[in-house]
Amino acid sequence: MGEPVTGVVTDIQRFSVHDGPGIRTTVFLKGCNLRCWWCHNPETLGAAPELQVWPARCIGCGACAEACESGAHRLTAEGHVFERGLCRTCGRCASACFADSLVWVGRSMTVDEVLAEAMRDAPFYSDGGGVTVSGGEPVCQAEFTRALLAAIRARGVHTAIETNLAWPWERGAGVIAEADFVMFDVKCAGDETHRSGTGAGNAHVLANIRRLAETGAPCIARTPVVPGFNDTPDDIGRIAELLTSLGSLLYYELLPFHPLGEGKYAALGMSSRAEGLRSPTREHMRMLATAARDHGVTVRVAGDPDA
Amino acid sequence: MTDPPCPTSAQRPSHLQSAQADFVPSAAAASTAGGSYAQRIEMLRQTKLRQTREKLDVRGFMDMDDHGCIAPPSDFRFEAVSDRDDGGVAGFRACGLNFRRLFEVHPTYVDPADALAGRWMVHLGSYRRMGWPPELPYTHLEAEQELYGIISGIGAGQHFGPDFRIGLQLGWGGLLDKVRRFRALHGPDKEDFYQAEEDVILGIQTWIRRHVDAIREAEARETRPELRANLAEMRAANEWIIENPPRTLREACQWIAWFNMVSRTYNGDGAGDQLDELLRPYYERDIADERIDDEDAIFLIACLLLNDPQYYQIAGPGPDGHDQTSRLSFLILEAAHRMAIPCNLTIRVHDGLDPELFRLGVRRLLEDRKGWPRFSGDKCLTEGFMRNGYPAELARQRIAVGCHWMAIPGREYTINDCVKINCARVFEVAFWEMMEAPGSPSVSDLWRRFQHHLRRAVECTARGIDFHLAHQKENWPEIVLNLLCHGPIERGLDASDGGVEFYNMCIDGSALATVADSFAAVEQRIEREKVLTWETLAGRLRADWEGVEGERTRLMMKRSERYGSGGSLGDAWALRVSELFTRLVKERPTPEGRNLIPGWFSWSSTIPMGKVVGATPNGRKAGAPISHGANPDPGFRKDGAPTAMATAIAAIQPRYGNTAPMQLELDPGLARGEEAQEQIGTLIRTHFDLGGSLMNVNILDAETLRAAHRDPAAYPDLVVRVTGFTAYFASLSPEFRQLVVDRIIEE
Repeated sequence: MGEPVTGVVTDIQRFSVHDGPGIRTTVFLKGCNLRCWWCHNPETLGAAPELQVWPARCIGCGACAEACESGAHRLTAEGHVFERGLCRTCGRCASACFADSLVWVGRSMTVDEVLAEAMRDAPFYSDGGGVTVSGGEPVCQAEFTRALLAAIRARGVHTAIETNLAWPWERGAGVIAEADFVMFDVKCAGDETHRSGTGAGNAHVLANIRRLAETGAPCIARTPVVPGFNDTPDDIGRIAELLTSLGSLLYYELLPFHPLGEGKYAALGMSSRAEGLRSPTREHMRMLATAARDHGVTVRVAGDPDA
Repeated sequence: MTDPPCPTSAQRPSHLQSAQADFVPSAAAASTAGGSYAQRIEMLRQTKLRQTREKLDVRGFMDMDDHGCIAPPSDFRFEAVSDRDDGGVAGFRACGLNFRRLFEVHPTYVDPADALAGRWMVHLGSYRRMGWPPELPYTHLEAEQELYGIISGIGAGQHFGPDFRIGLQLGWGGLLDKVRRFRALHGPDKEDFYQAEEDVILGIQTWIRRHVDAIREAEARETRPELRANLAEMRAANEWIIENPPRTLREACQWIAWFNMVSRTYNGDGAGDQLDELLRPYYERDIADERIDDEDAIFLIACLLLNDPQYYQIAGPGPDGHDQTSRLSFLILEAAHRMAIPCNLTIRVHDGLDPELFRLGVRRLLEDRKGWPRFSGDKCLTEGFMRNGYPAELARQRIAVGCHWMAIPGREYTINDCVKINCARVFEVAFWEMMEAPGSPSVSDLWRRFQHHLRRAVECTARGIDFHLAHQKENWPEIVLNLLCHGPIERGLDASDGGVEFYNMCIDGSALATVADSFAAVEQRIEREKVLTWETLAGRLRADWEGVEGERTRLMMKRSERYGSGGSLGDAWALRVSELFTRLVKERPTPEGRNLIPGWFSWSSTIPMGKVVGATPNGRKAGAPISHGANPDPGFRKDGAPTAMATAIAAIQPRYGNTAPMQLELDPGLARGEEAQEQIGTLIRTHFDLGGSLMNVNILDAETLRAAHRDPAAYPDLVVRVTGFTAYFASLSPEFRQLVVDRIIEE
């Protein structure tokens, strides 16, 4: 017997109702291969566990400074001071902080541990619900994701993944094979634009859409609509065109950008390039939906089929 | 619980004064308004809104639904007469006499847009100038009642259900004949009882007769032809039902409305019945005779729901188990939807339930966002009630007619929702007793002491129930509800005094999560992790978590394994506490042999019950509210998953036929679209499959969000969702909170 397969998990969310059909549990894995500058889940980007600092919640008890062996935490007359450069990412400070001012993001878990939590809601999965593995990018932890999906499926529960498809097919094929339902992102149609927005080109994405079509797995495509990046009718129309050959596509969903992640960037000692960016208006989203529908695909805006 | 009294006339501000004793609210409404049902419903709704504002002006605040009560004219005066030295009103004779006298002068109310006449305006109880009769002391119970925070139910009125069929079949004239017939059969010792019952009926008939005159006057004034025709029909219906049993749907709705209004006036009774089955014969006859169509029926029912948002059940199994869903069940949902005011309909979910009705119910809940319908779980309720030794046929007739409770209409006395034990107080007593005793404290010692004190609390409560049953007739007898019960009139006995067949007395536990989380926190932090001592904890509790160290300890205890999180220490303790409470309540009947039924419910009293409890080991501060009903405390899980809550609450059900309800707050982002309806439908059904008894769902509205935006800390577990992403509202930047508020309010 080898070591049990483990993965780094950001969060497990029960009663997840926007991540696939029915009532679901969504397992958010840590680590992503893309660096989309508008990302609103920055805590899922890095592969390793890391510390979030929420100064407003600090009660000034000093337990973190006592727990920290590297002197990264100090309690001064002005309050708590954290020097991220000194942090050895041991996580002891977060264990000592009951005020949730220090939050440790990322927990190493075995397939069985995740499975036990994911199966708590099994009675609620009866009407098509199940378990979704999301990220970060689940294929970054391909072996863990595949094993987890297989274990869930073996219990007769519906499986789904949320993926950016930006990986060589061989790496993720095993994951796709264990998913009953695939939700994938298409950020834009052009390779260079994709590189400028995410740090990587989209050749894999385009190739994998074709490979996905061959598997026949039911799927939905999603585009986060980001002002100044992919928010013209032409941008969206070109993406929709790519999807027309995908026979198993249930619908194409447009998700308006929301500036939700700003506080989280600060908590991780990062800055957000999307600061100050506004959400597209409903009218604008409607116009983009029309541009996509002109290519004959079924479109939803943030879940709404009538928008 | 008993409602606060409606304002008396003395409280009514002068600017609301009216020269007329009679109310004719829509007479001055836009004279151009037509008589279509849609227009009339809109007029009625606007009138209701205005009346609610008027009541707020009079009362200053209103923290519950208004039960259709409106403020009386400012010149309304009533003085109760007394046969007691202290000037108070108690017992059959005085209660009956004053009831009759009140309805000789209670204002009439005629709205030409309404299908039904009448509104209730005052509580008779607020004129009685006394509480529980001082000559009936229960000082032998008071020390323990106070020690354990017991709400004893002594003196509690109503809180059981009438069988409206009795009245609909006999009419007021028939009921009066019945009272007189049995009066003649009984001896002089029942004279007071029967005189009171006669007075009730005569008072009601007088009030209806006065309305007939008022309707006639309104007819003469009315210029709009459709409304004039409506008034003529209203008058004819009321002329008929002064004496006779109703024949048509309109007459039946009006009859029910009269009973509701006078019963509310007498002692606040708001129990309804199985409304679809109750009205079905009248509806079907009217349809067969082509007297009405469905639009007429919807309007009539909408007016009944407007008159009083009584607790009614629709659908669910009949006595033989077959589903009772009928066309009328759908029309009732449609009527409530069109009237769009507070409403208390419950759909009983069982295997045979018409899936279309269930779907429509969920749709109304999510689309209308007014907290109705509620859903009850037949499996838990029927199988549970049978464990008291009753047959399935009877258990199925025990229907939802109260805020969290069930009763067999007309056959069962319960004082549901009136008897509660504050288990947080019991815990506190056990904890401090242990800390002051010699020897070393432990979780097992604490549990042993908690068991001991909970048993004493249950026994004290049971004796209080016997005391109530022995004397309530001398206090405030059930002279209105008696009329629609099987037994009281026949036997000459009040429903509180052996008049009905079944006595299944309610005992609700309160503060389940407070107690379970407290046990879990001490077990985890003191005994398992050894990061805290009993003495330190006791010091922190005494100091109410004062200082930075106190606050750190408080947060540590609060972050222990909570009830509701799934497979946690808190879940295990909640189950253990609920099983103990259930076992102690079911161990034996009251000393006088009355059956007791356990449940978990507290939320009408979470704040006052919390005020008498010091800091508790679950991280709760002294005087803070105790936990709600059977719900886990807010923040029980980071994701606040309703599935986790539904699983936890289903597990702790006492399962004897009373409820431990699940109160769910959903944000509107979760409640949009057909998929959400399917998902919420699955959530409801699965909760009941797992053993749940009752589910109330609130969809958070714009007002709640605005309030949360002003004070996010007060809404720690409010989650906002954008597709594919959730966040704690309180964790978001002020700017983004504004964004969410704007978006949801805009939508």
